[in-house]
Amino acid sequence: MKKLLKVLSALTMAGLSVSSFASEGGLVLPNDEMPNYSEHRLTMSMQSGMQIYMNNCMGCHSLKFQRYNRSAKDLQISDELMVNNLMFTGEKIGDLMTNNMPVAAAEKWFGTAPPDLSLIARSRSPHWLYNYLRGFYADENRPYGMNNSVFKDVGMPHALQALQGIQDKTEEVKGIENDIAYAHGDIASAREKIQNGDNSGELNKIISDAENLIHEKEVQLVELSKQGKFFTVVKEGELSVQDFDSAMVDLVNFLEYVGEPIKRERKGMGIYVLLFILFFTGVAYLLKKEYWKDVH
Amino acid sequence: MGIMAQFMVWIDDRFPATKVWNEHLAQYYAPKNFNFWYYFGSLAMLVLVNQILTGIWLTMNYTPTGEGAFASVEFIMRDVEWGWLLRYMHGVGASAFFVVVYLHMFRGMLYGSFRKPRELVWIFGMIIFVLLMAEGFMGYLLPWGNMSYWGAQVIINLFSAIPVVGEDLAVWIRGDFIISGATLNRFFALHVVALPMALLLMIFLHIVALHKVGSNNPDGIDIKKNKDENGIPLDGIPFHPYYTVKDIVGVGVFLLIFCWIIFFSPEMGGYFFEAPNFTPADPLKTPDHIAPVWYFTPYYSILKAVPNQGLGVIAMAGSLFVLFFLPWLDKSPVLSIRYKSPIFKIALALFVVCFFVLGYLGMKSPNEMRTLVARICTIYYFAFFILMPWWSQWGTTKPVPTRVTH
Repeated sequence: MKKLLKVLSALTMAGLSVSSFASEGGLVLPNDEMPNYSEHRLTMSMQSGMQIYMNNCMGCHSLKFQRYNRSAKDLQISDELMVNNLMFTGEKIGDLMTNNMPVAAAEKWFGTAPPDLSLIARSRSPHWLYNYLRGFYADENRPYGMNNSVFKDVGMPHALQALQGIQDKTEEVKGIENDIAYAHGDIASAREKIQNGDNSGELNKIISDAENLIHEKEVQLVELSKQGKFFTVVKEGELSVQDFDSAMVDLVNFLEYVGEPIKRERKGMGIYVLLFILFFTGVAYLLKKEYWKDVH
Repeated sequence: MGIMAQFMVWIDDRFPATKVWNEHLAQYYAPKNFNFWYYFGSLAMLVLVNQILTGIWLTMNYTPTGEGAFASVEFIMRDVEWGWLLRYMHGVGASAFFVVVYLHMFRGMLYGSFRKPRELVWIFGMIIFVLLMAEGFMGYLLPWGNMSYWGAQVIINLFSAIPVVGEDLAVWIRGDFIISGATLNRFFALHVVALPMALLLMIFLHIVALHKVGSNNPDGIDIKKNKDENGIPLDGIPFHPYYTVKDIVGVGVFLLIFCWIIFFSPEMGGYFFEAPNFTPADPLKTPDHIAPVWYFTPYYSILKAVPNQGLGVIAMAGSLFVLFFLPWLDKSPVLSIRYKSPIFKIALALFVVCFFVLGYLGMKSPNEMRTLVARICTIYYFAFFILMPWWSQWGTTKPVPTRVTH
């Protein structure tokens, strides 16, 4: 019986750890770990994030489930400060944070209407957002001249270009990506020949060689990105690389807050709830022990 | 006579209050050797009450329309006082319900609690389980997130695999040609009115049937065979106060885990609340990977393991249907795993492994290897039950004591 329990719990743990939903694919960018701020610092970070959001994002991306005064209260911004500095189109403090983006026109401009971002940190994860926001690079094949290393061919232009400047892939990265593209080409043409009944022994070797090469090159790419050699700034922005990263931490912290405004509070509350239940369970156990004295 | 006693006499003359209290609690004799596995019945009741109460309060602010559902859930999360807690208690409660019910059912398999004379207890329980699955499935559509939408789409499309009437049946269930506000409305009605009533009725019958035959125990012994001069089982103790106080300890431990999840990790890493469900339902945008919530994945795996979709649906339904017959499939001379042959222990352990593997594979997108493993597990799942009348008689059992071991 005990053994069975052990086996079961081991299996459960294995199942849970293996099937993590966190796999996002895409590239790891340098310094992609967001810093863990203290409570006070976090509030300041969220405030600054809200400032960035209202000035740069709100025009296209609404936060339509969130209210101004809720943000003000949770982020310790006074209503007056909020109305005077962060609300631009005459809303009332209790209003939802909507905008006037015309959906049909936006679809024409960007291919798809800019989504509401109230819950983006919950559907994408803060980590993903942090990399996405720092992943824009020059690509002349895209309509607005920019692509994203996390969200390929995204319709969004680089809205924070003034802050970040423009980054481009380094020559080394471009070279490796070319090699990968050629290898994919080799695999495709070899597969086609096999389908047409060509000698498959030799062609299979070409495919496996190309696959090995792709794997090797991809490892190199990850390595380069870890060393901070993936992108290089080709046009300076208002902020240094470090300052831009830290601004993006603020923005992501704000979006994480908007995704679930109660998040910080519920964790604080949870400790007291658990302590009470622990106490309750202790009392219940003593009661049970007392009653069960006469059961032999 | 005191005023309270007089009052009780007055009541008892008109309603069997004391009689019911005694028959089902104060003089209902349960075996004294209940162990860990016996907490999950009362915990299921606790979660049921949690679901009903939080559900009522959620209903007060929820809008069951395609246009308003998603926004109303966010309204509950942000603008309703303690709305977030109600929603997390309800959402985490749904998963908790399945955890305790699965453990409750597994207890039955460990100790042969479904065997004669408890066949009806088991069958009523199985009906509750199927109703609970329907309840969970329909509830999952209500937040109107994109996973709600596509999950329901996939499952309802299964019905269209049924020959001849399939397509019409799927339209009839949806009330539309695709999942739409009409579907949401009817699922809401079923989720908050029809299914809970059916569940309550079946739970009532489950307990009435149980109290007629009495509880089984980890030794699988009939405690009514050894009674004292007053006709009270020697190995029995009154359910109240002994098991009520004991179950309260279980409630405490359960709440520790339950509240830890609610307050610190309500999404449970995407198992209880899936990330794509924080995007509103969009008929034009399929999530990258559609998987049902964890408690459905073993059956979903069985469905996918069968190459033909129609047969897959039959296999999935069969995997539940076969459980109803368990009381007649197990032909071992003893009830409890404690005295059964090693063959039973191995077979049951393998069954548990297969069930977990199927559950795991049901969450993953299929590839060749996974499909192969799912097929092996599916075959074992059915073989375990269908061949049980034979293999349950193999091997030597241990002698069963006459009195419970405590």
